[in-house]
Amino acid sequence: MNKKSNFLTFLIMGGLIATVLLTAGCTAPQEDDATNELVVGISTDVNNWYLDKFPDGDGRFVWSQVYETLVRLDTDLNIVPGLAESWETPDDGKTWIFHLRDDVYFHDGTPFDANSVVFSYSNESYVKKMGALRALDHIEIIDENTVKFVMNKPMPLPFYLTHVAWPIMSPSCVHENGNFAEPIGTGPFKFEKQVTDQEIVLVRNDKYWGDKPALETVTFKVIPEATTRVMALETKEVDMAIKLPEYDVSRLEEEPDVDVYRKLTTFTDFLQFNCNSGVFKDKEVRKAVAYSINTEQMVNTVLEGIGSPAKGRAFSPVMMYSNPELDLYEYNVEKARDILYEAGWQDSDNDGVLEKNGEPLKATIVVGKGVWASRHVPMAEAIQGTLQKVGMDADIQVLESGAINKLENEGQFDVIFRTGYFVWGPYPRHFFVHQSYCPYSHYNNPEYDKLANAADSTVDPEKQKQLYYDLQDMVLEELPAFYLVHEEKIIAANSYVKGYQITAEDPWLNLEGVYLEEEQ
Amino acid sequence: MVFNCAGLRKIDHKERKGMLKYILKRMFFVFFVVIGVTLVTFSTMHFAPGDPAEVIAVARYGEDLTQEQIDWVRVTEGFDSPVYIQYLKWLEHVLHLDLGRSVVTSHDILEEITTRLPATIKLAAASLLISLCISIPVGIISAVRKNTVIDHLCMAGALLGVSIPNFWLGLLLIWLCALTLHILPSYGYGGIEHLVLPSVTLGTSMAAITTRLTRSSMLDVLSQEYIVTARAKGLDEKTIIFKHALKNAMLPIITFAGLQLGFLLGGSVIVETIFAWPGIGKLLVDSIYARDFAMVQGCVLFIAVIFALTNLAVDIMYAFLDPRIRYEKS
Repeated sequence: MNKKSNFLTFLIMGGLIATVLLTAGCTAPQEDDATNELVVGISTDVNNWYLDKFPDGDGRFVWSQVYETLVRLDTDLNIVPGLAESWETPDDGKTWIFHLRDDVYFHDGTPFDANSVVFSYSNESYVKKMGALRALDHIEIIDENTVKFVMNKPMPLPFYLTHVAWPIMSPSCVHENGNFAEPIGTGPFKFEKQVTDQEIVLVRNDKYWGDKPALETVTFKVIPEATTRVMALETKEVDMAIKLPEYDVSRLEEEPDVDVYRKLTTFTDFLQFNCNSGVFKDKEVRKAVAYSINTEQMVNTVLEGIGSPAKGRAFSPVMMYSNPELDLYEYNVEKARDILYEAGWQDSDNDGVLEKNGEPLKATIVVGKGVWASRHVPMAEAIQGTLQKVGMDADIQVLESGAINKLENEGQFDVIFRTGYFVWGPYPRHFFVHQSYCPYSHYNNPEYDKLANAADSTVDPEKQKQLYYDLQDMVLEELPAFYLVHEEKIIAANSYVKGYQITAEDPWLNLEGVYLEEEQ
Repeated sequence: MVFNCAGLRKIDHKERKGMLKYILKRMFFVFFVVIGVTLVTFSTMHFAPGDPAEVIAVARYGEDLTQEQIDWVRVTEGFDSPVYIQYLKWLEHVLHLDLGRSVVTSHDILEEITTRLPATIKLAAASLLISLCISIPVGIISAVRKNTVIDHLCMAGALLGVSIPNFWLGLLLIWLCALTLHILPSYGYGGIEHLVLPSVTLGTSMAAITTRLTRSSMLDVLSQEYIVTARAKGLDEKTIIFKHALKNAMLPIITFAGLQLGFLLGGSVIVETIFAWPGIGKLLVDSIYARDFAMVQGCVLFIAVIFALTNLAVDIMYAFLDPRIRYEKS
C-alpha cells in the first residue's frame, strides 16, 4: 500500500486503538479512604458569594456552611441565638438591641464585631436592595459587641434576621477598591476553592465558636441532572444528594444502603389569580376552582406521595402561626358546578365550556420553567384536566421567569403557577397577595393590607398569632391565591453518613454532627 | 479521478495564487457571516419582550426593584443610547478582544469561555473520533454487502442510533457502566475515564447519520464506470474498495464530519448537563436562563466564529481534495 491509502487505514486503526485504550484505561470510581470528607451532589453552582445578591438554586446550601446569621433556626424552625447571644426591644419593635458573641472570629482571623454587622446591613446588601428591610432606618454601634437597629416602624426584626440570604460577612470580603475578594464568614466551614460548574471545596473552621464539625472537608459537586445525581449517590461517587426527583424517592427508600430524609418545608405551590381582570376577577370563579382541585390526589399521583396537600392553606404546617384548625377546601366537583351555576355561568351551546354574557369560562395557566419548577408542569396539566370537568377551558403556557414577571407586573395574566417561599415566621410579604407590598395578584383589599401591616408590626406573640390566624382565614375566604401543595424537602445519603438531621428551612443544610462511618 | 491528500499534491504558482484568492474570498464571506450572526443575536436580545435594563437589574438585585436601580443599570450598562450605537460600541470592544463582563456574575466573558474551551474541545474530538471509527467501517460493510442481512442489520442499527435521544442513551450508559458494572464514573470532568461516557453518547448518535452517508456515498462510487473497469482488469476487491472507491467516497463524509465538529465545538447542552461536563453549550444555556445578555452575546459570537472557521477549513480542504471543485472556478 502506498502512503495515501495508508492514511485512511491509519485513521480507522488509530481510532479503534484509541477507543480500546480509552476503555481499557478506565478504572472504577475511586472511593475515598478518608472518613471525614463529605461529598454532596448539588444541582447548581454558587454564582454569587457577596452580600449584594443571594445565589440561585442549590448555591444557597453552600452559603449556609460559610456564612451565619445573627439569629438562627433549629431543625424544627425554633428561633435560637446565632451570632447574637441575646436581643431585646425596649419599645415594642421600634428599636432592637442585639448583644453579639465575643468569642467569634471570621475565617481570616479578624474578630466578628458591631462593625461587621453594620457592613452586612449596608445599603449595598441584598436585604436592603430587595426592600425586605425597608423599615430599617440605621444601625447604631453601642459598643464593640452591641448594636442597635433603629426602625421606621415597629417590626419583629429577629424573625427576619434568620434568613440565610442576609448573613454577616467580614468587611475584608471586599478589596479597598470595593470589588469582592473572597467569601469570609464565621460559619463552621471555610471556603477553600471553587472550580466553576464543577465543585466547591470547603474545609473545617477549626476556630469555630460552636461545636466543631466532625467533617474535615465538604466538597459540593455540581451535577445539574437529577437522575445523574441519584446514580452518583448509588455509585458512592457522592455521599449525599440534594433536590431529588419525586419519582426516585420510593425506589431509593427501598435501597438498604441509602437513607432518605424527608421533611415538610416552608415552601408551598399555589395558583396566583389575577383578581383585577379576566374570569378570576369574580370571587365565585376562584372559589369554584378551589373546590374542583383535588390536592390530595395530586400529591398521591403526580407527586408520588411527596409533599402535603394544602387545600388552600397558605402557611405550611411546619410554620409558626400556621393555624391547624382552618376550614379548608375539600374536593367537591358538584359544589364547584353549583357555585358557577349560581354565579350565572351556563353551558348554553353544549360545548362543555360554561359561558356568561357570551364570554366563555376560559383561562391560561402560566407556568415557569427552571430547576425549582420541574413539578409545576405536570401539576398544571392535572389541574387543566380537573377544570375541564367543571366546564372551564384552561390552556397551559410555559414561560421563562422574566416573561412571567412582565405579565405579572402588567396584570396581563389569568393565573400563574408559583412556589411561595414562606419563611417560618410572620412574614406577610410572602403571601404574595399583599397589595401594598406585593401587588402581583392585583388584589386590592384595604382590610387585608391593614391586617397584614398590623401583623408585621406586632411583637407580642399572642396578638401576632391572632392577626396571622385572621389573615389565613381571609386568604381562604377571599382566595387571591389557591394554595395547592406544601413542598417536602428530600435529601438522600449513603447509609455510612451518620448524624444528619434534616431541617425544615429549605436553603439550610445542617451538617452539624454529621460524620462518616469507617466501613464504606 | 484521483484522490489527493492535502499537501501531497504538487501545487504550481498559478494554482497557489488561485488558492490564495479563494481562501481570501471565503474568509471575507466568513467575516460577513459572523457579523450577521452577532447582529441577529444583538437584535434578538434587545428586542425581546422586557426592558433589558430591568432584566439585568432583576438578575442583580432581585425582583423588588426601585426605578432608581433600573435607571442606574440603564446608564452604567449603556442602554440609554440608541441600539445601533450600543451594537457598534460592543463591536469595537470585540475587535479589541474584549467581550466584556457578565452582567450577572461580573466574570470576564472571554476568560469564562476560554476556561471552558479545553473541556469542549476534548469532548468534541473524542466524540468525532468515536463517530468516525464506528461509521466508516460499518458504512463500508453495509455498502459492500448491499441488501444482505448484514446491510439490513447495519442500517437498522443506524436508524436506532438516530432515533435514540441523547439524554436517554446517556442515562442508560451511566446505569450500565457506572451503576451496574462499576467500571466508569457517572459524571464529572477530569481524567480520561470521565470522557468515555459523554463522548460515546455523543459519538454513537453522530455515527448513525455518518454511517448512512458513508453507505450511500460508497454505493454511488461503487457504481461508477472506473470501478467496473478496475474489476474487469482483475483487481482484487480489497484494493478496489480501499484504494479506489473509499477515497472518492470520503469527500461528502469529510464535509459532514467538519460540520459535525462545528456543532460539537458549539457544545452539546444535553450531554454536558447529564454528565456535568463544564462545556460552552452549558454556559450558553445557563446564561440564557440567567438573562445574562453579555455572556449570551459572547458565547454566540464565539460559536459563530468557530463554526464559520470550521466551514472555511472544510471548504479549503474540499478544494484541495477534489480537483473538480477548483478554487479557480469559484
